[in-house]
Amino acid sequence: MTILVSPTGAGRRVHLVSEITDFIQGEVMIILGTCSRGKLPDIGRGVGCRVLAAGDTVEVLVSAWQWPGTVANLRDTGEVAVTFVRAADYRAYQIKGRATLVDCTPEHHGLCDRYIAAATAALADQGVPTAMTEMWLMPRDLVVAHIGIRSLSIKTPGADAGTLVGERR
Amino acid sequence: MTEVSLRLSDMERFFEGVVPSIIATCSADGIPNVSYLSHVVLVDEQHVGLSNQFFATTAANLAENRHAAILLVDGTNGNQCRLRAVFVRTIFEGPLFSRMSSQLDASSSQVGMTGIMRLRGVDIFRVESVTLTPAPSPAPVTPPQREPLLTATAEMTRKLIEPGGSLDRAIDELLAWMRTVLGCDRAVVFMADNQARSLTTAASLGYERSGVGSEIAFSSGIFGGAAATGEIVKISDLSRTRRYSEAVRASTRDENLTRTIAVPMDPDSLSQIAVPMIVHGELQGVLGAESRQRLAFTNIHESALIIAAQHLAVLVALSEAQAEAPKADRQFERPAAEPTLPVIEVRHFRFDDSIFIAGEYIIKGIAGRLLNHILRVHLETRRLGFTNRELRLEASLRLPEFKDNLETRLLLLRRRLADKASPIQLVPVGRGEFLLQLKGRPVVVSVEDPRS
Repeated sequence: MTILVSPTGAGRRVHLVSEITDFIQGEVMIILGTCSRGKLPDIGRGVGCRVLAAGDTVEVLVSAWQWPGTVANLRDTGEVAVTFVRAADYRAYQIKGRATLVDCTPEHHGLCDRYIAAATAALADQGVPTAMTEMWLMPRDLVVAHIGIRSLSIKTPGADAGTLVGERR
Repeated sequence: MTEVSLRLSDMERFFEGVVPSIIATCSADGIPNVSYLSHVVLVDEQHVGLSNQFFATTAANLAENRHAAILLVDGTNGNQCRLRAVFVRTIFEGPLFSRMSSQLDASSSQVGMTGIMRLRGVDIFRVESVTLTPAPSPAPVTPPQREPLLTATAEMTRKLIEPGGSLDRAIDELLAWMRTVLGCDRAVVFMADNQARSLTTAASLGYERSGVGSEIAFSSGIFGGAAATGEIVKISDLSRTRRYSEAVRASTRDENLTRTIAVPMDPDSLSQIAVPMIVHGELQGVLGAESRQRLAFTNIHESALIIAAQHLAVLVALSEAQAEAPKADRQFERPAAEPTLPVIEVRHFRFDDSIFIAGEYIIKGIAGRLLNHILRVHLETRRLGFTNRELRLEASLRLPEFKDNLETRLLLLRRRLADKASPIQLVPVGRGEFLLQLKGRPVVVSVEDPRS
């Protein structure tokens, strides 16, 4: 199996290798699963992602206007699963971790705009009309989920689906 | 988000699955998980069914905490909605399981994942709320209009069973209804041979070549898939793959060389539907349609096609059951030979019973034997009228002893000759009898080998 996380030393942290970093920062669809205090799950879409320099933290951008339940859960419990899927070949990974909300900067807005443009083009290549993509990818009222990566798993359909390839203990 | 009062039955387009649905669950200690879903189906006004294929974490979470959030997308306009739902049970058999399994097999094969995306079970959820996701230009959720289609479909079924009608006319009526009422730009009727496990094209519309007489094996493509499983198969968006189109293009070779007629299929289709025609558990054929539009066939189209397919299935079975009733007083004989008529050259190849008329490949197998026999009887006796009964009793034709499907075989042969505008035609003149119609003098040569 391809090594998707770097050697973990004492085994306490998950560091994404560049192959995975490039993938999740690319034109992939980003889906967030969250959980309320009452253990009710919710779903939202992300509109941009970047892996911070250390490789063990990601920032995922979310529209609070479009996904208020997801943002409320991020604020209340912080537990999150983020799935990154490439529409062209269904290749997919999921990270899990605990999020904190941080202020959205102009840099984040730039990241969001670049992501929406790239994802819209990638989906158009797959025959998805831009008018439809605009319904899903909203740059309005952005919040930033700062997520420490606890685990990484393969979510591509097939025999390896669900395989955990890195976990912080 | 705005909680709105929506009935699940008004949201059919959210269940077409063009844009994948997603489920989020969480464990008892609040760790969430997200999985994509192949299919979500509407079970009734309170329940949905989810394909359970390969997500162990989802199953483990649901065992601890039965709550789920399901994101559905209307493939026509991008509208999104979230269902809050509670897991009820998993089913592993029954009509819903069979329908979803066939659908999954078909869509998997279209994306090159045959056998990978096998259905393990159908997870049934009770839906507690439906919430439309805010969007920049949300489209209203409007229930589909059923009444006009229902009226037109009822009218079509009335025509199918009109007095004096025939299976030939019924097939033509049905195709015309598919074009004008359902808006199908390409449609096809296949007849089933359950012993050979193959489908033969009886009629089609909208294709470059009609493909009448062409055969496909059960389980090949979505039409064969519907035949093999007896379930409806529908693909709403083929845009993610073009493997299928390569297969179609490869099959359009010269039929005079290959003795194989190309099946009518459109390499640029984005939507396909195949509806099996079944009577008392026995497959009679498959009704198929294709479109270059995404999401061309809604659940309402599906319901209308089921009504049409079931009526046609009954008519096929009835035509086989009522085949024998020739009138004794009918005069079919030609009074005298007409040597001035042009010669129609007919070649019969014994090794596969293929027939070529004026150099054009017509048909092979049992249908080829039938045509060869009819022509030889005519040449020996000058007779033009034939009955199904005499063919059924003719040992040299080697018809299957049980369920010979003679009516259907003759229908296919008749339609193939008509499609080729052949100088030799078979014209039905009553129940169980037909007339040989000739635009010349047939000369039949039988040869052993295709190189002869």
